[in-house]
Amino acid sequence: MNVVSRGIKNAFRSPLRSGAIILMLAISIGLILSMLVARTSVNAKIDEVKATAGTSITITPAGVFGFAGGGDPLTSDQLATIKPTAHITSTSATLNDQLSTTDTNLVSSLDLGSFGARQQRFENGSSNSSQSDRLATRPAPTPRTTVTGTTNPNSVSTNGGDLNITSGSTIDGNSSSLVALVGSDLATKNNLTVGSTFTAYGSTVTVSGIFNTANKFQDSGVIMPLTTVQNLTSQAGAVNSVTATVDSSDNVDSTVAALTTALGSKADITSQAKQAANSVASLESISNLALAGVIGATIAGAVIVLLAMIMIVRERRREIGVIKAIGGTNGKVIGQFVTEAMTLTVIGAIVGLTLGVLVSGPMTTSLVSSSQNSTSTTSRPQGGPAEIFRGGVQSVRTNITQVSSSITPTIFATSIGITLLIAAVGSAVPAWFIARIRPAEVLRAE
Amino acid sequence: MLAVKDLSKSFSSASGDVKALDQVNLVVETGQFASIIGKSGSGKSTLLSLLGALDIPTSGSIEVDGVDIAKLSAGQQTAYRANKIGFVFQHYNLIPNLTALENVMLALEFGGLPAKKRKARAEQLLTDVGLDADQQLRKPARLSGGQQQRVSIARALANHPAIVLADEPTGNLDSETGKKIFDLLHRLSRSEKTTIIAVTHDMDIAGKTDKTFKLKDGKVTA
Ligand SMILES: Nc1ncnc2c1ncn2[C@@H]1O[C@H](COP(=O)(O)OP(=O)(O)OP(=O)(O)O)[C@@H](O)[C@H]1O
Ligand SMILES: [Mg+2]
Repeated sequence: MNVVSRGIKNAFRSPLRSGAIILMLAISIGLILSMLVARTSVNAKIDEVKATAGTSITITPAGVFGFAGGGDPLTSDQLATIKPTAHITSTSATLNDQLSTTDTNLVSSLDLGSFGARQQRFENGSSNSSQSDRLATRPAPTPRTTVTGTTNPNSVSTNGGDLNITSGSTIDGNSSSLVALVGSDLATKNNLTVGSTFTAYGSTVTVSGIFNTANKFQDSGVIMPLTTVQNLTSQAGAVNSVTATVDSSDNVDSTVAALTTALGSKADITSQAKQAANSVASLESISNLALAGVIGATIAGAVIVLLAMIMIVRERRREIGVIKAIGGTNGKVIGQFVTEAMTLTVIGAIVGLTLGVLVSGPMTTSLVSSSQNSTSTTSRPQGGPAEIFRGGVQSVRTNITQVSSSITPTIFATSIGITLLIAAVGSAVPAWFIARIRPAEVLRAE
Repeated sequence: MLAVKDLSKSFSSASGDVKALDQVNLVVETGQFASIIGKSGSGKSTLLSLLGALDIPTSGSIEVDGVDIAKLSAGQQTAYRANKIGFVFQHYNLIPNLTALENVMLALEFGGLPAKKRKARAEQLLTDVGLDADQQLRKPARLSGGQQQRVSIARALANHPAIVLADEPTGNLDSETGKKIFDLLHRLSRSEKTTIIAVTHDMDIAGKTDKTFKLKDGKVTA
């Protein structure tokens, strides 16, 4: 028998009480572990989202949303302002237009459908004509073919990488030749292959390549060099979307600020980083919640051990006096009680960590998905081609709920560290009580 | 030799200071069996607690073999209790979740006996006070009062103390068992040359001791 074995033995002196203490401790330690897991997993996800968000900034004319809205396109003056802005390494500019049946010999590969028909219901009809007049005078609505004039054809890609050219070769976005990349659906519909020609805005355009993005809308469109579209549509220098790439993600915010000052209210500026930050806001609140949970459970655990040990020390006051009276030092008595507290805590930790391992996965998932449900309603709807955030943010939206929880050695070590902290705090105050018990009390009647 | 000079102890309570001991002087020679008698509240337990360094006197000195224990540091007092003093209490005060054997071994641990030698020594002590092998392995709750007091005597004698202090060791026992316990203490003090100071209410027992001190209101009257 020594201090340690007496301490361990004492931990089981009252099995029912010890069981209750161990159970309470196990719950708080299990909570600590699962909250740590949730926090670590969510933080990892936040970092991942921020890292994939990229460094691009999109500048669109104020008031334009896809093909909807009004306002003027960006001018070449504004473009000249954007390009030299500090930290911007490259820019790609886009001008979108739609080809109607009178502009081209191409047949759209999109069905108009009820959605498309509704978008065209205001056109061609005079406001004061009667219902029957309008139906009679108005040609049947037809779907249109989207033309994207861009300095960088890869910017049309929907997955953030290079545009997938299935045959032929890509075009030089900075040229002004009458060449085009044709979406795979449109090519099939019009029997176009590399080298074929079609007419657009009264000019003959040669097909340089066929691309496929797996996005039906994009694959029904045509991509041409920016200047070509500007010339064909008589909009010299006009652009309705500029994507600027910033040298480092740290400089995105400052560059957005600089551009906002330079362009004023004439342009809307959005960055992927900002979008990503918005979409991870809910994850960040989960992370904070989890941290609060860790702290709360730690305090609860420490209080449980503290109260239990105070109760035990008070109950064994006389016994402590006897041990001191027969020559036991304060150190030995305290050591015995600390061992007792440690024994209870370690068993609580084993049960709690097991519990935590089982519970942490489902808990992380439910924390994340419940918060996503509440925030998804606030995310704005996706619109026309200019509105599709190329790559990054779109993929973020779909996999933000896929936070995988895993227990790393660091988390385990942290949990054990916290557990020891609980035991230490829970023993310190009782130790002080023990030191103050006067051995002379044993001579007093009970 | 134990020499107490001008020993006083006061407690502060709500209604002012209580003088539990007032200028006590007494001498007990080594190996003597002394008894302390007196009415309840006369200060008998207080005197024993000071002699056993369980408490610190308000004034005065307690010299044990030339050393004033009142002036020892807290650590030295603990060592003094472990090695020089054996206590026998009225309520036995054994540790309830340790067996008789383990209770004696606990005192041996505090006295600094190497772990290997403790079991044999504890068994010997318990056999000497009359506990058989089966009783030695029982916890206090499963021993009679007299048997528990025998265990506590074995524990008190474990480290060959210079002085055994006993506070009404027979107070909870019938007179016949009490006599046996007293005889046991007497016999052991003779063979080990241990000084024994025992508080008792039993005048028969007090009459058989070498020396009797009578306390009244914190003062020694005879
Ligand atoms: N810790 C204390 N605080 C206050 N007063 C105390 C304390 N200990 C003892 N006293 C007082 O000191 C006096 C002597 O008490 P003590 O216990 O020494 O008496 P006693 O002779 O042992 O009595 P009994 O025969 O009933 O055991 C009593 O008046 C008691 O109330
Ligand atoms: Mg008393």
